[in-house]
Amino acid sequence: MLFPESKTVPININTHILPTTKFKTIIITVFIQQILDKELAARTALIPAVLERGTSGCPTYRDLRKRLEELYGAELTADVSKKGEKHVLTFSLEVINDKFVPGEKLLRRGLELLKDVLADPLLENGTFKSSYVEQEKRQLEKEINSLINDKISYALERCIQNMCYSERFGVFKYGAVSDLEKITPETLYQYYVNLLAENPIDIVIVGEVEPEKTYSLVEDIFSFSRSSRLKEIPPAEAKNVPAEIRYFQEKLPVNQGKLNLGYRTNFAYSDDEYLALLFYNGILGGFPHSKLFQNVREKASLAYYVFSRLEKHKGIQLIGSGIDVENYELALEIIEKQVELVRHGEISQEEMENTRIGLINQYKTIGDSPYNLVNFFLDGLVGESAKGLEYYIEGLQSVKKDDVVEIAQKVYLDTVYFLRSPDGEERGETV
Amino acid sequence: MQFKVKENKGLGEKVYHTVLNSGLSLFVLPKQSFSKKYAIFSTRFGSIDNSFSLEGNGEKHLKVPDGVAHFLEHKLFDQEDGNAFDHFAAYGGSPNAYTSFTQTTYLFSCTDFFPENFNLLLDFVQSPYFTEESVAKEQGIIQQEIRMYQDNPDWRVFFNLLESLYSEHPVRNDIAGSVESISFITKDILYTCYNTFYHPSNMAIFVTGDLSPQEVLALVERNMAGKSFSQPENIQRDYPMEQPEVQRKEVSQELSVSQPIINIGFKDTYNYLDGKELLFRDLACELMLELIFGKSESFYNRLYDEEIIDDLFSADYIAECTYGYTLISARTNDPDRLHHEVLMEIEQVRKRGLNEEDFNRHKRKLRGELLRSFNSLEFIANNYLAYKFRGIEFFDIVDLLQDITLEDLEKMLAEHLQEKYHAISVIKPYSG
Repeated sequence: MLFPESKTVPININTHILPTTKFKTIIITVFIQQILDKELAARTALIPAVLERGTSGCPTYRDLRKRLEELYGAELTADVSKKGEKHVLTFSLEVINDKFVPGEKLLRRGLELLKDVLADPLLENGTFKSSYVEQEKRQLEKEINSLINDKISYALERCIQNMCYSERFGVFKYGAVSDLEKITPETLYQYYVNLLAENPIDIVIVGEVEPEKTYSLVEDIFSFSRSSRLKEIPPAEAKNVPAEIRYFQEKLPVNQGKLNLGYRTNFAYSDDEYLALLFYNGILGGFPHSKLFQNVREKASLAYYVFSRLEKHKGIQLIGSGIDVENYELALEIIEKQVELVRHGEISQEEMENTRIGLINQYKTIGDSPYNLVNFFLDGLVGESAKGLEYYIEGLQSVKKDDVVEIAQKVYLDTVYFLRSPDGEERGETV
Repeated sequence: MQFKVKENKGLGEKVYHTVLNSGLSLFVLPKQSFSKKYAIFSTRFGSIDNSFSLEGNGEKHLKVPDGVAHFLEHKLFDQEDGNAFDHFAAYGGSPNAYTSFTQTTYLFSCTDFFPENFNLLLDFVQSPYFTEESVAKEQGIIQQEIRMYQDNPDWRVFFNLLESLYSEHPVRNDIAGSVESISFITKDILYTCYNTFYHPSNMAIFVTGDLSPQEVLALVERNMAGKSFSQPENIQRDYPMEQPEVQRKEVSQELSVSQPIINIGFKDTYNYLDGKELLFRDLACELMLELIFGKSESFYNRLYDEEIIDDLFSADYIAECTYGYTLISARTNDPDRLHHEVLMEIEQVRKRGLNEEDFNRHKRKLRGELLRSFNSLEFIANNYLAYKFRGIEFFDIVDLLQDITLEDLEKMLAEHLQEKYHAISVIKPYSG
């Protein structure tokens, strides 16, 4: 078991405590789950930004920052993440273990502050302060637009948007600029009040803490009112067999083209086959020994980076590489060839074993980083698959080549997206 | 071989140090209860070391193409019997390397098979194998790496700034060099650089994880037993004389970005600093910048409210032995206004002075941040050697931070952040 300690506090918040002496800090993370939906995404994304502006006790951002600095530079983060077709609001506070700063009560003060950020925001006429909302709307607009600054992330996101244009997974985690305009402080506040009362909330605490004392602390401090019946947030649909392969291109004045391929794996995070899927992805493009790195980079010298990764909560596999525009056909051919090889069982013993030891290594080191631990927990939570690290470490031992080949039969190429400079041959429908 | 032990009670860490006969420094920081082991093997050879001579070499002076340290980093992975990456794969080791302005670092992390992985690291870094053919192949890969960075606005705005701040110092050149400069790199140049900078006396190893110093030392000694090394020679690194004045005041470039990105740099004027003196300057400037531009200060909050900046705004001090500067970075729709506001703020803070209460709060914050970063094995190892190469004992930071006074900051404020020694770099969206 990864999180042996778990309790539901009276206001219907699940609290999970992982005591460990490894770290110099204690990390408290609060997750609020919401459905990922086009209509709601911008509103959901705006919430953490507004809450981080001020609480009734620290009415300005400046007050709040001062408080955090006094707590030995406690690190507060508030953001949203997209996990499959769930939208997760994440509030996290990291404080120094009291033993390094004798006489302080950083855990208690940290919990209080985090609770204030969540449940005691600065209000003005019974609603969010309007200047904060308006400013954060414009900041979020800039944030949405700035995706284009990082061409690797931009190309990946655009590949997903085109691939999943009719699915909820195609929604950007910060929503769309056009949805921001109609948000008012009143509608946003009402939306948040309901969210806070009715959506699933989990608190995870990692660090050198005594579980019983810490539960009482959480119970004491997190004392706002919650509904007894919570909303259910449905998991994503991972099954999808595309009718045809679609090709897209997008023209921008760039030095390097970004080629992305989106595949449907048809397996969910909670499926038993997920372990074999990890192998499939690893053999293709998760490591330097993988087929893609060896062939696209080392043999053909076409790219500096080439990878394959999983969108594990949606059953999607993404391959990405940065290449010269004129090498599009060659790169595509080499990539598809590698996928084909795996499908035909051309996986060496060495590739299997190197991937196995590499994957096991990844799972063994998750426990060495508090943030990786918290993320691993969140994956289990949203993927509805409460398996501990041991499950993966042991399960990966027994995956066989045939299991991987079986996975490969169910993986379908859905979308090819190419971000490229304007010159040269056309490469698909322009978006 | 005896270890010297350095303990810092405030950090709750102990580091063991010894120097081998070859001149190689070994540091071990045991971290019980961690599954991961992390080891780095580092040489004092970075992108700025492009002009040098060896004392025993009749003062023969060498100038090498820009980007050679980084190129060498890529090429060392190619071994006579295949790629080092493949060898690590069999033991679950995850190797990597990076080149900075001042050093090249090879590393791996693993959970099991530490001795095997560690041996691989020691072996491949000490077995150069360059051929004309493999050099040509790497040129294709590095060209793509360079093109990737050409599309990265944060990278471009930063290097455009350095090019403007410095007229002569090689910090103004991109770490990877240019598509042109790397085309001049040959296997002979790589061997020359290797033989100069990869002597054990110019290198250090740092290992951390659930390991004992003795077992790590035994592994190093066994690995080195069959190898012989020439007498260490003093490397003479030639950095051209840099005037305090900047090369040009302003530079801008267009890229496909959503809004302008600005870097403002203030050049520091020392010619050479190391050890405690450098660390002291580093910490004092870092704290001073916090007091002026930190997120709890009026400047940040006023400009955030006016929507001139967003939460990516940052101000940092960079302290290397042969150069130092302050870097202010932001995304803004009004670069001119922000530039003006930064200069005004510095002037006003000089007039009104710094505040004791703010000073203590920021000091507290810095102490907490330092402790927090000790959760990461990678952070500890990478920083320990990066500081060591500047003659700084990393653990001294904690005590030195306590010793810094408000007067020290005020002294720095009078000296540094001079308007006449500053430059700006802007990336703008394509016009028209």
